[in-house]
Amino acid sequence: MKYLKLLLIIAFTLVLLFAASDLPYRGNPDNQMNQEVSMTGTEVPGNYYIQEAYNDAHTPNIVTVILGDYRSIDTLGEQIVIFTAGLICFLLLRKRGEGDDE
Amino acid sequence: MLDFFLGHYAYWFTIILLAIGLYGMLLKKNLVKKTIGLSIFQAGVILFFVSVAMKDGATVPVKADGLPVSEVANYMNALPHTLMLTAIVVGVATLGVAFALLINIYNRYGTLNEEELLDKIQ
Repeated sequence: MKYLKLLLIIAFTLVLLFAASDLPYRGNPDNQMNQEVSMTGTEVPGNYYIQEAYNDAHTPNIVTVILGDYRSIDTLGEQIVIFTAGLICFLLLRKRGEGDDE
Repeated sequence: MLDFFLGHYAYWFTIILLAIGLYGMLLKKNLVKKTIGLSIFQAGVILFFVSVAMKDGATVPVKADGLPVSEVANYMNALPHTLMLTAIVVGVATLGVAFALLINIYNRYGTLNEEELLDKIQ
C-alpha cells in the first residue's frame, strides 16, 4: 500500500512535469494572458484592468480596485465563506454548558 | 535549451512543492502533519499562479509616477494576484476549521494517529 502511494506521487509529478513542458515561458510579455484578445476571440481582462483601473476608481493599487470594485460581489461571497468558517470554529470550540454531557 | 530552463524552472519548483504536499497528505499518519501537507499543496498552487503573473521588465500592479498606465508592459497582470489573495484568505479560514476539528478529535479520542483512531472508532 505504501509503495502504491509512492508510485502515485511519482506518477503525479511526472504528469505535471510533462504538462509544464508545454507552458509558455514565464515572464514573456507576449503570453496569451497578456494579450488583448484570447485565442477564441473573446476579450482578456488583464490589459483592461491595468489601463482603466485608475480612471474607473481613482485608486493607485490595481489589485485593490479589482478586489473591491470590479469583483466586489465575489469578495462578498468570500466573506460569507470566512464568516461561516468563523461560526463553525465557534461552534466546535465553545465550552459545553452544564446541561449537556458530551 | 537555456531559454527553456530559464522559462520553466519556476514551474518545476512549484511541482516539487505539490509533490511534497501530496507526500504529506498520503503517507504521514499524524492528522496534523496531513493538514500541514494540505497547506503546502495549497501554497504550491498559489505560488504557481503568482509566478505565472510575472512579466519581464514590469513592476508591481500599483500605479507609480513616471510609469503611464496606458503602457501595459509597465505593470504585471493584476488578476492572478487578486484571485490568489482570495484563495489565501479562504485557505486560512478552512485551515482554521480543520484545526478546530482536530482539537475536538483529540479531546474525545486522545490521539491524532490515523490507525489508532480507526481502531478506536470501530
